[in-house]
Amino acid sequence: MMLLDRIGDFFRIALHQVSDPLDVAVLFGSVLLGILFGAMPGLTSTLGIALLTALTYGMETERAMICLLAIYVGGTYGGSYSSILINIPGTAAAAATALDGYPLACRGEGGRAIGLTTTASAIGTIISMLFVVSISPIISHFALQFTSFEFFLLAFFGILISGTLTSPDLVIKGWIAGFLGLFLACVGRDLLQFYPRFTFGYSELDSGIEVVPVLIGAFGIPQIIQVLKDRFRMGEAQKVKRILPELGTVIRNIPTIIRSALIGVGVGAVPGIGEDIAGWVSYGAAKNTSKHPETFGKGELQGVLASETANNACVGGAQIPLLNLGIPGSPPAAMLLGALMLHGVTPGPMITFEHPSFIMEMAAILLLSSIAMWIVGMLLAKQVVKVLRIPSQIFMPVIGVLCIIGSYALGLNIFNLYLMLPVGLICYFLTVMGYPIAPLVIGVILGPMADENLRRALMVSQGSFLPVFQRPVSLILFCIIVWTIVSQFQCYRGFKNRMLALILNRKGSCEASPDENPKE
Amino acid sequence: MMEKEKLRKTDLFSGSLIFLFGLWVVYQAMQMPMKDSWGGVQNVWFVSPALFPLFVGAMISLLGALLVRTALKTVGCKAIPNVLRWMASPELIHFLKTPALIRFYAIVALFFSFVFINIARVDFFLGSILFLAVFITQFYFDDERLLKKLLAFYLAGTLVMTVSHVNPVATAMEAVFAYAADWLTLLFIFAYSLFAWRLIRTDARMRRKYRIGMLIALVAPLLIGLVFKYLLLVPLPKEGLVVSVLDAIRYWDF
Repeated sequence: MMLLDRIGDFFRIALHQVSDPLDVAVLFGSVLLGILFGAMPGLTSTLGIALLTALTYGMETERAMICLLAIYVGGTYGGSYSSILINIPGTAAAAATALDGYPLACRGEGGRAIGLTTTASAIGTIISMLFVVSISPIISHFALQFTSFEFFLLAFFGILISGTLTSPDLVIKGWIAGFLGLFLACVGRDLLQFYPRFTFGYSELDSGIEVVPVLIGAFGIPQIIQVLKDRFRMGEAQKVKRILPELGTVIRNIPTIIRSALIGVGVGAVPGIGEDIAGWVSYGAAKNTSKHPETFGKGELQGVLASETANNACVGGAQIPLLNLGIPGSPPAAMLLGALMLHGVTPGPMITFEHPSFIMEMAAILLLSSIAMWIVGMLLAKQVVKVLRIPSQIFMPVIGVLCIIGSYALGLNIFNLYLMLPVGLICYFLTVMGYPIAPLVIGVILGPMADENLRRALMVSQGSFLPVFQRPVSLILFCIIVWTIVSQFQCYRGFKNRMLALILNRKGSCEASPDENPKE
Repeated sequence: MMEKEKLRKTDLFSGSLIFLFGLWVVYQAMQMPMKDSWGGVQNVWFVSPALFPLFVGAMISLLGALLVRTALKTVGCKAIPNVLRWMASPELIHFLKTPALIRFYAIVALFFSFVFINIARVDFFLGSILFLAVFITQFYFDDERLLKKLLAFYLAGTLVMTVSHVNPVATAMEAVFAYAADWLTLLFIFAYSLFAWRLIRTDARMRRKYRIGMLIALVAPLLIGLVFKYLLLVPLPKEGLVVSVLDAIRYWDF
């Protein structure tokens, strides 16, 4: 009965959302904008959400979420256009799509590939939405048992795992980025005693560093510099013919789509890891399970479907830790967290009490966004392709102006700009030197949570760390953290290899011994 | 991202900086109340505001040191004198003058001049038009020679603008002559447009790019500014000449 009630509630909320023409217009407009952002190489869904956060500031929370989630869904899907048609991923999430998408387009099947990825992306988003609805109450209930120690360890784990998995070079660099983010979060008056930390007498820093300008600077400025400095050029787009997908092909590929969606949800639910990793993991899984792995990279439809389904399923997956624990599952989700805070919604275990229908609303928006994405994708794909002809030298400076006015508009504070620009420049240098930006951003967002919970936990335990080992969840988290750190060191790998070799040798000698010495 | 060998060499540099930065964070945290009283509250170490920064600073230092160690293991200690020798050689100057770096300087100069010099002093519309006109033309022309000339002209103009902003005579002028800074910016936009036109007027392809660039530079700020100012009701960073004209039009206040 309770399940039926929840389903009833869900559809009532979804119907309520589509009953307002303005909401529908915002939904379709945002999805289209998201697709354009995703399609244009150099622009990402994270940047799209960052820039739109300023525009949605004056909106009601529900409408703002429609706008931002629709951009997120559209932006994640939009990256496939440039991957398939010009062999340049519009976003990192669509990087795996290019491997098979472009060869398909070269064979004149670009339209077919886009049609199928549109459908697969929509299915992926819908499956992830089902997980948001079904898993959230369980996680939320579970999270209510968490104490400050668990929250501190969870925040710390989020930063560590994000640093470990998103680092393009050494893992240490990912961790350094995360700790630099935590340092930025320390700036301002501390939450327990209001002592000014690292403010250097600037009253503007007393309330801490504003998250949104930092996010805009971290994601926007390095992107603009990279694209223009490296004279990024777009290739000639392949022709798009028929877009509407064949139902038979979709049905034949349902196992791939479902597996990829599950991978996407799983990867998305891990704090701080983005759609790009979901795409690659799913692509790898599709290749490994295929009867013809040699066709991958040469225009295999399954490869395109796997990557695109997973990256869109990741959108819903990333909402699960975001809404229930207040920990963003991906960089765009981090941006979404900033926007939610601006609207006075604090995600976490208490969200079901403070805003009882909020998770349902978000799930309904995900469903509507995926439907809108499919419709826009089918109707406007040929027109969207035209934006790939706009030179980056024209749109990047305009994005620069949007970054500036967006950072300013949130607090009507010019100091935000003085902060955004140096942060952007530092993030550019960090990117060039192989440091990932996602852990830094996650660190800025989770820093206050980690700081406050660490001290609160120690206050309750009177300075003792013993509860970490006495509480099962915190002990598990602690063990995972230790393993995450230790597993990155050469000595651990050497030890693991020696142990494995020892076990295998012993096993081998046990198996071999009866034959070698049959009499014994 | 750079290739692996280069990355490890830069890791030596960045790792050392990060290590020192971590030490600085620790030092700053040590100045915070640990066990003494703050605001009438007697501290204990576990509620001290220094606790988290100490942990973060120590971790940053440790990870920075580990990064340096990893880099040294890959490139060896001989990399340090090599890098120092390279930094003292004319190769460094040559490297700093590469086209990619000149493009980088141009982007940074444009952003810094807009944010730190113009945005608080010049009407947002005019500041944005100037920013976009210079930004788009410099990069859309896609010619290193032109970029250098346009950048030099822009920097010279920005210097004049900066002097005029901080000059007490100009400040006094502003009281007598309304929107003096905005008129000066308008003059700068015209001068820059003319200068750019003079450089490319003989090339039909460049002329087309010039027209498109200037059109976007004019239309985009108007659209963005109008949406923020009149639709979202966000006051712009500086409302001057153009905003007063737009206000007059909007409120029919002639």
